[in-house]
Amino acid sequence: MDQALQHLVNGTVLGGTYALLGIGLTLIFGVMRVVNFTHGELYAFGAYMVYALVSLLGINFYLSLLLAALLGAALGAAIELLLLRPLRRADIDSVMLVMIGAALVLQNAEMWGWGGVAKLVPSPFAGTPLVVGPISVMPLRIFVLLVACALLLGFWLLLDRTRAGTAMRATFQDAEAAALMGVRVGWVNTATFAIGSGLAAAAGALLGPVFMVSPTMGDLVGLKAFAIVILGGLGNLPGAAIGGFALGYIEEFGGGYVSTEYRDAFGFLLIILVLAIRPQGLVAPRERVG
Amino acid sequence: MLNRRTALLSGLAMPALLRTASAQSDGPIRIGMTQPLTGAVAASGNYVANGAKIAVEVLNRAGGVMGRPLELILEDNKSNPREAVAAAEKLVLRDRVPVLIGAWSSTFTLSIMPKLLEYRVPMVVETSSAERITTSGNPWVFRIAPTSAMEAAAFRELLGKFDPPIRRIDFLSVNNDFGRGATEKFSAALGGAGIAIGRSETMTPEATDLSAQLTALKQSDGDTVFLTTGVEQQTLMLRQAVEQRLGKRIVTTGGSFPDALLANPLPPGNASFHILFYAPWFPERAPYPQIAETYTAEWNRKGWEFAGLTEGFRGYDAVLTVAEAIRLAGRAEGEAIREALWRVDIHGVNGDIRFVKEGPAGRESGQNRPNVSIIRLAEGRTSLL
Amino acid sequence: MSAVPGWCFVAAMAALPLVLPDLYLLSVLTSAGIFIIGAISLNLLLGYTGQLSLGHAAFFGLGAYASALASLGFDIGIGFGLRLTLPPQPVWIGFLAAIAVAGGFGWLLGRLAFRVRGAYFVIITICFAQVLRMVALNWVELTQGPMALIGLSPFSLWLPGQGVVELYAKNQTYWLVLGVAVLCFLVVRQIVHSRVGRALVALRENETLARSVGIRVTHYLVIATVVSAGIAGAAGSLFAHNVRIVDPDVFLFIYTVTMVIMVITGGKGTLWGPVVGGLIFGLLPDLLRGAAPPEAQWIAYGVAMILLVMFLPRGIVPAIAALMPARRPGRGATASPVSQEAP
Repeated sequence: MDQALQHLVNGTVLGGTYALLGIGLTLIFGVMRVVNFTHGELYAFGAYMVYALVSLLGINFYLSLLLAALLGAALGAAIELLLLRPLRRADIDSVMLVMIGAALVLQNAEMWGWGGVAKLVPSPFAGTPLVVGPISVMPLRIFVLLVACALLLGFWLLLDRTRAGTAMRATFQDAEAAALMGVRVGWVNTATFAIGSGLAAAAGALLGPVFMVSPTMGDLVGLKAFAIVILGGLGNLPGAAIGGFALGYIEEFGGGYVSTEYRDAFGFLLIILVLAIRPQGLVAPRERVG
Repeated sequence: MLNRRTALLSGLAMPALLRTASAQSDGPIRIGMTQPLTGAVAASGNYVANGAKIAVEVLNRAGGVMGRPLELILEDNKSNPREAVAAAEKLVLRDRVPVLIGAWSSTFTLSIMPKLLEYRVPMVVETSSAERITTSGNPWVFRIAPTSAMEAAAFRELLGKFDPPIRRIDFLSVNNDFGRGATEKFSAALGGAGIAIGRSETMTPEATDLSAQLTALKQSDGDTVFLTTGVEQQTLMLRQAVEQRLGKRIVTTGGSFPDALLANPLPPGNASFHILFYAPWFPERAPYPQIAETYTAEWNRKGWEFAGLTEGFRGYDAVLTVAEAIRLAGRAEGEAIREALWRVDIHGVNGDIRFVKEGPAGRESGQNRPNVSIIRLAEGRTSLL
Repeated sequence: MSAVPGWCFVAAMAALPLVLPDLYLLSVLTSAGIFIIGAISLNLLLGYTGQLSLGHAAFFGLGAYASALASLGFDIGIGFGLRLTLPPQPVWIGFLAAIAVAGGFGWLLGRLAFRVRGAYFVIITICFAQVLRMVALNWVELTQGPMALIGLSPFSLWLPGQGVVELYAKNQTYWLVLGVAVLCFLVVRQIVHSRVGRALVALRENETLARSVGIRVTHYLVIATVVSAGIAGAAGSLFAHNVRIVDPDVFLFIYTVTMVIMVITGGKGTLWGPVVGGLIFGLLPDLLRGAAPPEAQWIAYGVAMILLVMFLPRGIVPAIAALMPARRPGRGATASPVSQEAP
């Protein structure tokens, strides 16, 4: 039972950042119909920015997190303006190929620029865990979970309560109708991609100090982000949040009780099952398939 | 000179063609080396390559071998077995090197090994730990790195240094040859010494969150966890073990050292133990202090990362070994160097280097017996156990 | 285009080991040739059905494992105390096994994945390869997991008068790969020019229309996937016995990306596209060896991929074909790629 409680806590912490990743990816797909292969690389980018700001420039930890997320959003906006805007009329496969090309460039630039040695990012939090009964957790992880939840809430408020959010939701539902109603779809796309990328970079910036920062950290995470959005249904925002937490628990409990070897495989096995049985995702049938 | 066309067509005559080509030149003597200089395990590969570079410099300053300077030709295997084969073929077929050093990971070394038989070129293996490398009957392989079984046997001799003593052990290993091999051999060696064997958990090389493994290990009543993986996962595991209150002694195997914990130490009260083949903090305690001090001084003079010394010595010792074999052979030619490798008996950073026979009779590979030391790391400071 | 230039090219490639006896060049061309076969098979899916299948490394890897396991033999438990045992087989049986196993999984993936289209299809194919990689990593009893299958025998051929000979020599392996590549090329050309090929192009151009005129879309897609997977499996088998080691990394996404770049660069939906693209990207890494670090090379590949999709979406071969003076006035530019291309 103690072990189960500990797994529950670990899974929740893991799931929070997975949810951030998933929301960003599914938002971009929902609004722009773009499968974003650079998502994992933006995650790594956020982590490297925190490393550069904190360890190399000596900037305050919290400020660095904010800056890393903003820089990620800026990089996302640049990708959208440079690569995606000229391809707005292109078919989905061409766009995917371009995004794979962009991911190759980003990943190898990270490897080239930062070298293969993984970096540790110091944080202002204590190195000793908080202990409550049988459960122990690092203060840094609690902070990460809180920030992730705050970002999710803030994102929801942005979509639900602001004009920009309304324009985004309108484009989400029907881009052409939104354009007819006067929504400037081009800028909605740029904003969407920037926000999605910013969320990925934020996830990387938050997890960088928890783990280590390495150039290949984005690979597996990028693939897992796909697993998360498929679990929740592509383009389904609440689904992505639920999918994120679900994957966190699946990996944690699967790893703890079934097999640590297959821990990273659970997500992918689940996707194949989901797609074979219920292609529209587990959460809500909103997206038409095919 | 052979008729090139018939040589190629018959296929069988190919080694003859190679031999004539590689024996002729009288410029520098070429030594081929392949290491993972880029990709997932690039950090360690570059350390080993750096060690080899300074060995070549030191030897050339002393006049080279047989009056000819040595030239190290370094080829990246990009942390990938397919590229390891391509790199070896490039070194042998294009650069015509008579001897190879490589290839860091067991998988890369194993993938090159059939090519050694094919081209009749010996290879000095500097890092790979898999048993199969020297037991599969490839007479072109000479390993100076210890196998997991040797490391475990050497560790067993040092058991008495632990206080409180080790009574029951668990394992956390990376899911590959290196990790699984260490689990198996340490279980056998320590089980034979009356130590109880508990759980054995694995992780993928990419895994960053080890909470599930650690939570599982915590349920075991062992007192010591043997950790076998690369430097990065060592660091991650040691940090997360504090978080999950693992409360056990942790011993890392394999000879690498989580140097990131020197600058960012674990909180007070957490110590870890590391089996190393060279402890750069204490060169004076090495078997041959003068050699170790030369190596360490040259490395530091280059301004390379201090932590790399723990792995760079492999490249240094490999070049010393190859140079001695060329000197004994009297010519830079594959078959002669292979013969001569059996007669090598020199002092390296790690200690004596000489090969004993392993594997099926008639096709034995060479294996060197290494020295190990155990380093205790606590609060960013190291001490020799 | 008539068949003459194509056969001249094949003849020139076949004569290469005699004219230019550079063993290193041959070994580079051999491994490039293996990936060209992979690219030819991917082109059938990517170019002719228009389905962006990004799990192609799965078939390649399945072929490599099937061939390696058949030639090494295995003895595994399959539950209920039963054991499945296979004594070591000759390499050519492994080669056939590779085609059969990869083709079988092609059928499975086809049935599974073609229920969905677009983004879902792409993601399901990526995950397929990932799952297989995890299985290869963890089913240690069968695959040796990360320890890899080693000690594979080289290819052997039965030659008249000489019996079974092992192909150790570089030139022999080279000719074998060239022969298999030509065979695969001809198979794909046959399919493209058959009823199946026309149906595939019809549904690539307009699936709804193709359905409405009664083309059994899924049926033809599955056929294409099975053939494509089978050829990729053959390439995987050649790969296994050439490198003589198989490890779970053959399932990595980057191998698929390599084949995709070859097809896109050369020209998807053209018969010669994968050959041209495969030669370029098969030889570049070795030409640039030492000149540029692999990261810089991959950055260049990524940039090339972006620029090609944006500015030369049909690839090099159609672009060159368009530059050439039209041999058959009245067809040229407007003809579909299928009718333009024949060796």
